[in-house]
Amino acid sequence: MTLSKEVYRLFEDIVGTDNITDDPAVLDSYRYPLSHTAIHMGPYYRVYTPRGAAVLLPGSTEEVQAIVRLCNKHRIRFKPSSTFWSAWGYPLEDDTIQLDMRRMDKILEIDDKNNYAVVEPHVIGATLQAEAMKVGLNTHMHGPGSSCSCLASATALGGLGPDTLYMGHHNENMLGTEWVMPDGEILRVGTAGSGLGWFCADGPGPSLKGLVRGMTGTNGSMGVFTKVALKLYPWPGPATLPAVGSPPAYKTELPDNIRVYTLGFPSWKAWADSCYLVWDSGIGYIAHRQFSMFGRDLKGAMVRILSDPSKTLSDIEELLEDLEVQKLNKDMERDYQIVLAGMTPRDIEWQDRVLDKILEETGGWKVAGMMEPDLYNWSLLYMIRLGHKNLNLVYGGGYDGCFGLGGTPDYGTSDEPPRVEQATAFKVEWEKKGNIVASGGDAMMGGIGGMGGGGMTIWENFTHFDPHNKESTEGTLEFFNAVSKFGVEKGWGPGMEKMNEYARWSDGKTTPKDVRDKIFLGSAQPEAFRYQRKIREVFNPNDLGDAYYRTLDDPE
Amino acid sequence: MALEDYKADMERCSQCSYCKWIPLDHVKSWRFAKGCPSIGYSNFLSYSARGRYAVALSLINGQSTYTEKVKDIVYKCTTCGLCDVSDKICRYNLEPLEMIHELKFKLVEDGQLLPQNTAVIENLRSQDNMMMETKDGRGDWAEGLDVKRIADEKAEVLFFAGCRFSYDKELRETARTAVTLLKDAGVDIGVMGKDETCCGGRAYDMGYKAEFLKCAENTAGVWKAAGIKTIVTSCADCYHAFSRLYPPLGENFEVLHTVQYLDRLIKEGKIKFTRTLPLRVTYHDPCHLGRRGEPYVPWEGKEKKVKGQIVVYEPRKPRYNGAWGVYDPPRDVLRSIPGLELVEMERIREYAWCCGAGGGAREAFPKFSNWTANERIEEAESTGAEVLVSACGWCERNLADAIKNAGNGMKIYDVVDLVKQAI
Repeated sequence: MTLSKEVYRLFEDIVGTDNITDDPAVLDSYRYPLSHTAIHMGPYYRVYTPRGAAVLLPGSTEEVQAIVRLCNKHRIRFKPSSTFWSAWGYPLEDDTIQLDMRRMDKILEIDDKNNYAVVEPHVIGATLQAEAMKVGLNTHMHGPGSSCSCLASATALGGLGPDTLYMGHHNENMLGTEWVMPDGEILRVGTAGSGLGWFCADGPGPSLKGLVRGMTGTNGSMGVFTKVALKLYPWPGPATLPAVGSPPAYKTELPDNIRVYTLGFPSWKAWADSCYLVWDSGIGYIAHRQFSMFGRDLKGAMVRILSDPSKTLSDIEELLEDLEVQKLNKDMERDYQIVLAGMTPRDIEWQDRVLDKILEETGGWKVAGMMEPDLYNWSLLYMIRLGHKNLNLVYGGGYDGCFGLGGTPDYGTSDEPPRVEQATAFKVEWEKKGNIVASGGDAMMGGIGGMGGGGMTIWENFTHFDPHNKESTEGTLEFFNAVSKFGVEKGWGPGMEKMNEYARWSDGKTTPKDVRDKIFLGSAQPEAFRYQRKIREVFNPNDLGDAYYRTLDDPE
Repeated sequence: MALEDYKADMERCSQCSYCKWIPLDHVKSWRFAKGCPSIGYSNFLSYSARGRYAVALSLINGQSTYTEKVKDIVYKCTTCGLCDVSDKICRYNLEPLEMIHELKFKLVEDGQLLPQNTAVIENLRSQDNMMMETKDGRGDWAEGLDVKRIADEKAEVLFFAGCRFSYDKELRETARTAVTLLKDAGVDIGVMGKDETCCGGRAYDMGYKAEFLKCAENTAGVWKAAGIKTIVTSCADCYHAFSRLYPPLGENFEVLHTVQYLDRLIKEGKIKFTRTLPLRVTYHDPCHLGRRGEPYVPWEGKEKKVKGQIVVYEPRKPRYNGAWGVYDPPRDVLRSIPGLELVEMERIREYAWCCGAGGGAREAFPKFSNWTANERIEEAESTGAEVLVSACGWCERNLADAIKNAGNGMKIYDVVDLVKQAI
């Protein structure tokens, strides 16, 4: 126990005996292995995030405020998390108070006239989507999938996902917000701060959206967000998303105004051209290079396995010999999935004709194998609900992304051979060593409309490994180090594999200051991090957050 | 397998939190999206499958030791298996329910016991039942019933009442009705009466593996001696024990739940309805008949890797993901009753919400057990049904008690009761 009995009792007085613990076993269940999902700075074998001092389950904004004030009084670090996906929501330092926001889980309001919902931290994508659909609306489904917190996505992280093309990032969807600031004061951002409701993040009222979250969010390092209003979007489908079939191969049948296609292209140039044409024409509801995450050589077999409840991973080798699966792989080599949602019968027919025209111009096709009813209905449900998002961990339990960040479609397709093929060939060589899954090099997944209306694609090359196996985990790290070197040599820069090294280090704790300073000084705009230091000094005077808030502390 | 054998699972757990929710594709509302009663009630991550993997890893790595909190985490699980279904949406190489059982076994082996469970198990050891009753009264439920006694005469089919239906005076009539319905439909059926002993299934779910093995040995031994090949039971816990836990021990019998037998007899025209039941009912899937009631498939093999690091099994391992449980027979029986309208709750079949009675929760954690039952009753009410129907004495008792505690007007019946009313 690292908190004194007296301080523990003070926290206990706030949340009640049942909602606080410092039991070591419980604290260990609030640590995150650095060999898992989207760490973007490892993986490190059997390294965990630091053990907290205590876990608290606040039940209201008032309780959160009281906790934060007490933390300030006793100079104790605190770290909130809602659904604990990946390492961002876990402490960087020992003896941090961890706030599990699970008890604050209400959908407080759905305003179907003004198209927004007000939610608490532990509302997940699936529940908000289910409730929104009842009134003809839909919510953007963040990339980690529908088991994750909408509020965390909107206030603390980037918040993009497959439907960003139509429904934006969650950072764009964030409207009025309630924020328990790092010093314990409560600030309502936007219209919520002037008593005018929740409909706008920028006022009339305190217009601090840029400050409280910026582009990428502050990852739970600057106070606690307790309520957020999120913009909702039209849903022209049924009030309840029907799911049928046996697990895990759930499928849906929707009216004909909602359609899903897997598109294939003869070249990466054609692939990129199609993205621009989709954006220019304004068609599409969801667009994502999704099933490629299983790998170029394996995705045909994997979609067959996942859409058939009688199959398992043990069938993969036999399926790879199947000529139809091989044809599916070939047809899907340069692919993405697109969902069209027509608001009227004329709309869907128009969108489909436009899509056909785009395919005609680019030489692309609708992949016939994915139009078989089982695969069609399975992929339709997958794309809309994102209820199988953690299939990225299906092979051995560990995955992380490398290579690309966001950019125009040309980011991956320019050069000769195209960068995506260079990255593929590079990964294939490492796959031969046996430490990562031999999936064919290209397991690049990402949004086709990586910002509202289009304009960006994401190229995250999924790398699958076994976190239980030392050689596999360490071999993956070695590969990621090589990827970074390769990217730098090519002039592309390091990829996602090192994205979080500015904050967390190989021991699971805060990255050494000299390393952080070097990273920020080497960035395009070091001044931004100096400016953030000043923000931190004002809003977080006792510095009780962590290094996920990026600051440059060198003399100006 | 020992707890340590699940270390690979513990380190491969994706931390995705699917184990807390019903399969996300099936979420129809905010209100009924939760899947795991344990974390639903206790809230700390440790009370989910993901958390229990972490707690187990912490214990076997020596990073933490047994505390009252650890005991609470381990035992406050109904072993309903929802986490197992939801986890397997994305994973083919994790067995969270097996690990949770091993964790309970480990605590029992290490003497980390709960007094409430200890009392029940002591009674099981001396009196052969889980009801804190004496063995003398085991056969009272069948008193006066015109049916063969296996000790005296042979029968093709044995009706196994189980502890709950044997001793619970309010539920005994369901067992008597089941026997009568089967007998009247021409089934050559018998009962063991006072010679029946506990199946051991509930002891297994509490963590008492040795006691389960003793129960299984006793029960199967008596059946073999009597030449019994087919068993029918109205208890979902017994059904699960006989069909899933006994076969790995080499004890193979044909096992049917009453609803399966009734469904067969109705479809064969051997049971005919003469009355209309103008009732709106909803059906609660017992965990042990549904997701945990999948047929046992023998397997012996080992893990291997293909394509570098894809974890598979050689030979191909059977996959228990809840899909193949007993879901349609009870529904078909209910739908065949004239006038009866079956309406479904949001959480059904492999992703049904647990009644709260299992895993020792009813005995050791009555508040948690009652809360879990109340959640189900509220869900049943939301359908507009006036009757909640099930096919397990333990579910019916726990739900009935919660209805009574809440002063609720919902009625609860077994499928058998409604069949009888319609004849």
